[in-house]
Amino acid sequence: MSKVVEISPTTRHEGHSKLVLKVNDEGIIERGDWLSITPVRGVEKLAIGKTYEQVPKIASRVCGICPIAHTLAATEAMEASMGVEIPDDAYLLRVILQCANRLHSHALHDILALPDLYLPGTDIKVNPFSPEEPVRSVAKRIQTLRMIGQTIGEIVGGEAVHPSNPRVGGMYKNITPRAKAKIFDLAKQGLKLAREQMEFMIALEENYMKRDWAEMCGREVAIPKDLGYHNQGYMAAAPMYGSSSLDLNPEWDPARWLEVRPWDWYMGEEEITLEDPAYPIGGTTKAGTKAWPQMQACTGVPLYDGQPVEVGPRARLVKYQNYDRKGAMGLNIARAMEYMDCIYKMIEAVDAIDTSAPVCADVIPQGDGEIGWAANEAPRGCDVHLAKVRNGKVEWFSMLVPTTWNFPTCSRALTGAPWELAEVIVRAYDPCVSCATHMIVLDENNKLVAQKLLE
Amino acid sequence: MEYLGQYKAVYKAKSGCEDILAKAQDGGIVTSMFAYALETGIIDGAIVAGPGSEPYKPEPMIATTVEELFASRGTKYSVSPNLALIKEATRSYGLDKIGIVGTPCQIQAVRKGQLYPVGLRDVPDKIVLALGIFCMENFPYQGLFQMVEDHCATKIENVTKMDIGKGKFSVYTERGVNSQIPLKVTHKYEQPGCHVCLDYVANMADISTGSVGTPDGWSTVFVRSAAGEAAFNKAVEAGWIIAESMDGVKPGLELVEKLATEKITKNQKYLEHRAHKDHAALKPLRNPYI
Repeated sequence: MSKVVEISPTTRHEGHSKLVLKVNDEGIIERGDWLSITPVRGVEKLAIGKTYEQVPKIASRVCGICPIAHTLAATEAMEASMGVEIPDDAYLLRVILQCANRLHSHALHDILALPDLYLPGTDIKVNPFSPEEPVRSVAKRIQTLRMIGQTIGEIVGGEAVHPSNPRVGGMYKNITPRAKAKIFDLAKQGLKLAREQMEFMIALEENYMKRDWAEMCGREVAIPKDLGYHNQGYMAAAPMYGSSSLDLNPEWDPARWLEVRPWDWYMGEEEITLEDPAYPIGGTTKAGTKAWPQMQACTGVPLYDGQPVEVGPRARLVKYQNYDRKGAMGLNIARAMEYMDCIYKMIEAVDAIDTSAPVCADVIPQGDGEIGWAANEAPRGCDVHLAKVRNGKVEWFSMLVPTTWNFPTCSRALTGAPWELAEVIVRAYDPCVSCATHMIVLDENNKLVAQKLLE
Repeated sequence: MEYLGQYKAVYKAKSGCEDILAKAQDGGIVTSMFAYALETGIIDGAIVAGPGSEPYKPEPMIATTVEELFASRGTKYSVSPNLALIKEATRSYGLDKIGIVGTPCQIQAVRKGQLYPVGLRDVPDKIVLALGIFCMENFPYQGLFQMVEDHCATKIENVTKMDIGKGKFSVYTERGVNSQIPLKVTHKYEQPGCHVCLDYVANMADISTGSVGTPDGWSTVFVRSAAGEAAFNKAVEAGWIIAESMDGVKPGLELVEKLATEKITKNQKYLEHRAHKDHAALKPLRNPYI
């Protein structure tokens, strides 16, 4: 007889989401639904009728952790629709910005993921805020890496959060030779720290995989060897930067994408039958409460070739570097492995920049309503923005963001894991939920949903 | 000395560098301070009023070398929105220690920005040297142009120096034709915004300087903050600046005080006028120093 347990809200990630889990008598998940409960942002509707200059700025406001990815994806979606070619040096600046964003975001995720992990050789979970060594120096290293990422983002992007420098046609400003030197110095400082941090994280994650149990709710919960395994595919558009419909060989195909409504995907109304007051923080939802995933989920369910796919660090490594580790820890290790790429790519790009070259296209066509898309490899995965621009105004705009892709995939990865460890799997995806929330397209059925929600 | 603000010391000073003095407005204090600070690494860039697209039209620029700094020597009696570059200096210019020169109102804005850094993320701690210049009022470029071209009957391209002093606006040209007009004539060209200003000697700067109070070729210098004092004393020690006591200097601080009082009482009256109920359309403004 299966029971239903709800963890709401899930913690230590960006945004608001919850888990509704059907578990068997041993507490093993038979079916898991992980869904966003963040209120709808409405950016896609706000964009309609705005100029192509405004929309990337509005789009970046969807979130404060990867605004750089959203700015770049939206900017390039406009460029793709209008057919704008940007100068090489503008591209290099964007690559630096991208690397800086990924560096700081991955470091931030380490802080969030560490409390699940154990110090090797002990049964002590890591508290990243502990003043004790070795954790103290790790926390400092993470903060320094974030400082490096954010400062470089600030120099190249004008702002670390919601960058002001990228524009349709390239960038507003090139950097000065002094700024170039500063980026070099920061990247060199980051190189050593990133290597140490990567090795530290991988050691802890490998150690977690070797463990038999993890302490949860005051008891020892057995860790299955296939924690977080799924058989879905992977989707990535580039190892580091991105792809767009202007490319000779686009790495993403809109024809393979289909969006399903949550009504058709998630579980129907369920009553919570299992509760655990010992679950951090404040216990799981009380038994007797109702949960209705198909109604409460705020995201669409995007499918690629008819299936949910995984996006993110592992998807990039699988597609471009033959990475083969599965499961929650496999994903965390993939993320750690990307640290060095961020820094090396940054150094390569800054080395190639000509600080006196123009960074904005001479001619910016105003668009004829053609659809254009740009896929940006955000820290959490492939962030696709689609746009139609006509005479300088945006007619249609859509954001297909990484965590939207990961919601259904991760839900499948939950199957077979003890419910107490469901959040460990969720956190491995480094979810960033706020941008994943979407307007639902209204049609006959959805009108019904909207009405029910209003009741 | 009610209107001179707080200061640690006041000097009669001029630059110790002949190159600077050759094209300086008065004592060349701002250029010398920034040149010294750039040379010794106190700052790694200074936001100054550089040459613009028209003669005597200032445009803010970031000088990171003494050569660049020299391009901005001398006063241009028009508005240079130096604060417009303060954020960019920390961004695409990659500066960590910024010097900025400005009129009293601009220095107020710098300090306010440091206190409430709205739109100035990570900027406040990077401003290390704020130099203020004495300011009675300022002119929009079109006003200055008319004063020079029409009232002084001089082509503005030919002007080598402009000066305000002793109740006169003077224009000097290369050919030696100099003209002067009484300041009274220039009043109508002033920026209206200057009439609500209650600061004459840049009370909030690290160091403030101007010609008033000291003989020609010298400047009056108020050293106000600890950072300003440290930098100024080092510049004096290194010979970039020659500083002497203000004791017995004619016309001295009395004149500075007189002009400050004149400006502030006049503008106080205007503020009261604005605050009067008959002028409800004009917004009353508060004194930033109360």
